[in-house]
Amino acid sequence: MDEKITSLEALQAIARQAGEDHRKYRLRLMVCGSNDCHLTGSNEIIDAFQEQIRGRNLEDQVQVVATGCIGSCSMGPVMTVWPEDIFYMKLRPEDVVELMDSHVEGGHPVERLMYHDPATGQAIAHSADIPFFARQHPIVLGNKGIIDPESIRDYIGQNGYQALYKSLVALSPPEIIAEIKTSGLRGRGGGGFPTGVKWEFCANTKSDVKYVLCNADEGDPGAFMDRRIMEDDPHAILEGMIIGAKAINASQGYIYCRAEYPLALERLYAALDQARSMGLLGKNIMGTGFDFDIEIYKGAGAFVCGEETALMTSIEGKRGTPRPRPPFPAVSGLWGKPSILNNVETWASVPRILFGGGEAYAEIGTESSKGTKVFAVTGSINNIGLVEVPMGTSIGEIIFDIGGGVSGGKQFKAAQLGGPSGGCVPAEYLNLHTDYEAIVKAGAIMGSGGMIVMDEDTCMVDMARYFMDFCQDESCGKCTPCRVGTKRMLQIVENICKGEGRPEDLDLLESLSHTINDASLCGLGQTAPNPVLSTLKYFMDEYRAHIEDKKCPAGVCADLFESPCQNACPVEMDIPGYIALIRAGRLEDAYKVLKRTNPFPSVCGRVCGHPCQNKCRRSQLDEELAIKNLKRFITDHASPPRPEPVPVVHPEKIAVIGAGPAGMTAALEMKKRGYAVTVYEALPEAGGMLRWGIPEYRLPRDILSREIREILDTGVALKTNIKIGVDVSFDDLKANHDAVYIGMGAQKSAPLGLINEDAAGIIGAVEFLRDYTMGRNVRAGKRVAVIGGGNSAIDAARTALRLGAESVTILYRRERKDMPALEAEVKAAEEEGVAIDFLVAPLEILVSDGSIKGLKLQRMRLGDFDASGRRRPKAIEDSSFELEIDMLIPAIGQQAELDLLFPATRIDDRTKDTITIHAGGNTIAVNRDYSTDHAGVWAGGDIVTGPAMVIDAIAAGRKAAISMDRALRASKGEQPWHETEDRIEIPVEVDEEVEEQFQIRIRELPPAERGRNFREVELGYEGNMAALEARRCLRCDVKTEE
Amino acid sequence: MKPIQSGPQETADEFSQGQWDKIDSVIAAYRGKPGALIPVLEEVQGISGYLPEVVQRRVARGLGIPLSQVYGVVTFYSFFTMKPRGRHQVRVCLGTACHVRGGHLLEKKISQDLHIQPGEVDKDRLFSLEIVRCVGACGLAPVMVVDDDTHKQVKAARVEEILAGYRNREEGHHG
Repeated sequence: MDEKITSLEALQAIARQAGEDHRKYRLRLMVCGSNDCHLTGSNEIIDAFQEQIRGRNLEDQVQVVATGCIGSCSMGPVMTVWPEDIFYMKLRPEDVVELMDSHVEGGHPVERLMYHDPATGQAIAHSADIPFFARQHPIVLGNKGIIDPESIRDYIGQNGYQALYKSLVALSPPEIIAEIKTSGLRGRGGGGFPTGVKWEFCANTKSDVKYVLCNADEGDPGAFMDRRIMEDDPHAILEGMIIGAKAINASQGYIYCRAEYPLALERLYAALDQARSMGLLGKNIMGTGFDFDIEIYKGAGAFVCGEETALMTSIEGKRGTPRPRPPFPAVSGLWGKPSILNNVETWASVPRILFGGGEAYAEIGTESSKGTKVFAVTGSINNIGLVEVPMGTSIGEIIFDIGGGVSGGKQFKAAQLGGPSGGCVPAEYLNLHTDYEAIVKAGAIMGSGGMIVMDEDTCMVDMARYFMDFCQDESCGKCTPCRVGTKRMLQIVENICKGEGRPEDLDLLESLSHTINDASLCGLGQTAPNPVLSTLKYFMDEYRAHIEDKKCPAGVCADLFESPCQNACPVEMDIPGYIALIRAGRLEDAYKVLKRTNPFPSVCGRVCGHPCQNKCRRSQLDEELAIKNLKRFITDHASPPRPEPVPVVHPEKIAVIGAGPAGMTAALEMKKRGYAVTVYEALPEAGGMLRWGIPEYRLPRDILSREIREILDTGVALKTNIKIGVDVSFDDLKANHDAVYIGMGAQKSAPLGLINEDAAGIIGAVEFLRDYTMGRNVRAGKRVAVIGGGNSAIDAARTALRLGAESVTILYRRERKDMPALEAEVKAAEEEGVAIDFLVAPLEILVSDGSIKGLKLQRMRLGDFDASGRRRPKAIEDSSFELEIDMLIPAIGQQAELDLLFPATRIDDRTKDTITIHAGGNTIAVNRDYSTDHAGVWAGGDIVTGPAMVIDAIAAGRKAAISMDRALRASKGEQPWHETEDRIEIPVEVDEEVEEQFQIRIRELPPAERGRNFREVELGYEGNMAALEARRCLRCDVKTEE
Repeated sequence: MKPIQSGPQETADEFSQGQWDKIDSVIAAYRGKPGALIPVLEEVQGISGYLPEVVQRRVARGLGIPLSQVYGVVTFYSFFTMKPRGRHQVRVCLGTACHVRGGHLLEKKISQDLHIQPGEVDKDRLFSLEIVRCVGACGLAPVMVVDDDTHKQVKAARVEEILAGYRNREEGHHG
């Protein structure tokens, strides 16, 4: 039976004793005993340690403590060793013996079990040096990893209940309230109402009975900060509530805790018992004559009961429907009596504020939002878990610096703030400060602090549907706007996801949203439309794609696509189809499938950026399929379908400018449809960037020539060495043809914008590669520098090496992960000896006798985020240095020579037939169907988008041809061309058992053999390698019928 | 929602005398306390497994409140059910983090394997399936809870294995 505490001295004595008890041990092993680490095996580790300690007779020296959650869920199970503060992560029971031998007994911490910096690989021993911990500011979670949640003495040992003493003995109720007001504490459940003001209203309301309530219903999916506090530091909540009770003069309190948290309930019950037995709760608290006790009320699974009036109604034993306000709970709450209802996190902040003072608390945070906030950062993030930071910390810092960035190397897309009541903010808002008002301005809410990170694989329309489904399900039904409104909105969004959306739906969703916002009875209904509104605001393109194109770009809405790979491919190649045909050994049929939508499968099988592979579902199991290599295998080992000349059946003559992938595909597709097509190419041979931009070691010339030949064999006419705008004017060309397709690409390197850029030894990447391919006498310098991070930079660097450079360095102004180039290319370059320097930018070109002799460079650091979601490089003061070089290859972008095609007078012409050129002068604007504003002129490829992938250009050519044919035939009142192809039966062979197996790697020329030649580096599959790889396909396109 | 028909649907024989005694003592313990209905129903459901009309009538009579009020509360809160539950309750979390990590694929797989929809119990009354919105274990998404066991990072391929574990336990019990 515990002694009842009736004085500060008694409290302090217990605190001292707790400290002494701890210091008795030479080492304390604080193992995370949270539920989550438990699931990853922390219990076995705790047991193993205890066994080892017993076995080695170290019980007096070493203590094992199961604490609450210490850190990120993705690091678990974790352990901190006190007093040295050494942090270990991802422990397994097998590691225990080594830890005992090496660290506990031997005094040598075990490096391999520590946290390792993801960039440098270095081990970091102390959590104070690990960004995930170092950048947090724990106040509410201040006891994490330090106390045993089931020990009130540990809590007292950390200054626990001293604030209570102060509030009972040294402060009057108005003084308590004043302290809370000074602190600026605002409700942490989501409302953000100033806590001190709420208490004041209640304190000023006369009543014999008042209530103190704790909202522990935490219903927001993705939020678990309240659960952590209840499980790991329950006394903080109790202490806060008792202080609150004193402030308003209440004698009864309730904690309404959701039933889905059994451990939290258990710990709360235990904490109440402990507090009562020490006289800190119940009658005559701390001998001061103040009575207050707390009861726990278990929820029964209704999200709406997190709303304050619904919560009170639920405690009253009724259906948890909200009540109209006014009257507000502070005046008329539970059982009609004045009540203060606060969230768990708010209550847990109270003792800290009273202990340290409201002023000190108010020094943290922003002008309007004081103190810290606990965010639950989940979803597509590396360090999943709770993050407590000062208000005002930017979202980007939380996600990237503390959270470790987006998991799986994926692109950040949006962060959902505030759960189902909140909204999503896209990459442009990564600099947004987490402040109540600032977040509302961006279209979201702080809410309870849920922050769900979404990446490129998330469909924002599906997320809106998901949240609306949730709100509709949880709607209590009392008021019509919410009950009927959310149902109707859900139906509309579901239809959109199923491919049955209509253009009118967008306006309808907006107007319904505003009505439901305005007219609903409680916060659930009022905020239910927010996710839809914010996704409409920032991701309208996705809604349009679902409604107008019946496409789900992210590859989530299953009704809109066959398989995620096919959906991701710009030309929607039947990937599962041709993979199944490889598996069945029917390579000729597979080749036919390839050629249906892609005239350059051999090329793509070597150089495609494979967006399909990024969506391959197999990566959820082990590793994505090597789709690109499989495609190449078909073209290497089978004969293509023989191209037949296609007769001309239409009178219209088609001109195509540019024999690159966009132009040649458009030409082929128009030829298939029965037109006479002529391609005009400025250079001596067809191919565009495929020939002049991609080096031979990636794409052998004969492979490219063969596929061009197959296009020409259908009857497409090709005229080379004719530059439109120089040899023939655009107007003349247009006059002689019925339709023109502009696929001229972007063939000029963008300048760096530095003085002396015209010195000898400086040549743009595009020009350098083209000159070499054309057979001009191009030599590489001895010491070559390439500026840029895209595929052109890599191509130029690897080519320079092969042309005899002694050293080649790529200079990139951001970090490795930001490079647009394909990872495989970067790796290959490094294997061959190309050096890459990151976070460096050119300042000055140093010249001697008209030739380049060096570069003055500057070190960069990463600053705020830009709209692309990447950090903007900022120069570091006085960090410049010089690099000696004799050749510089800028590869920072490509431009088009539009001024040749459309001389200045034409661009300014405001008549009906004008081509709209985007600001910057390098790209043409087109409508959704690839037509320009100039009648009879279509465009596609790099000339429209800027440099993109080969497959994007092929898609642009194909889709434009479909539009051109449709328009030309419609003008004659005829139907467009309809594909009549042979049906190829795709075998369905799906494995019952799926074993984990990584990608079969293709053979490659070893780096040592690559030397100074241009032999192909990737060598493809041989023998049965392709069949084995094809077996890994999960056939996501096969839908089983029940 | 089917209306209550006059006369009890299930007979009192569904539950044993021991269960009725326990139910009555729970009601007695809370009688007179304001707002006691929900805690009473929670404890009673722990005894009877579900809350059919006959049990609701008992509670209503015992606490002195209208049956309509009891029915209203039972049908409002998702923890209360008027349908029998399986011996093992499978709860698939479809909270946001689990959703983003493939929770719905998991739900589909379980539905397929057990041939039931969420809210139903399989023909052997062994498993009942439910969707929950968030169990707060977001770090380990996607999550599936069977009784008191939380299963983390569950891939659709592992579902059979997990359910088989519970099936075997049952067989061992009766073997």
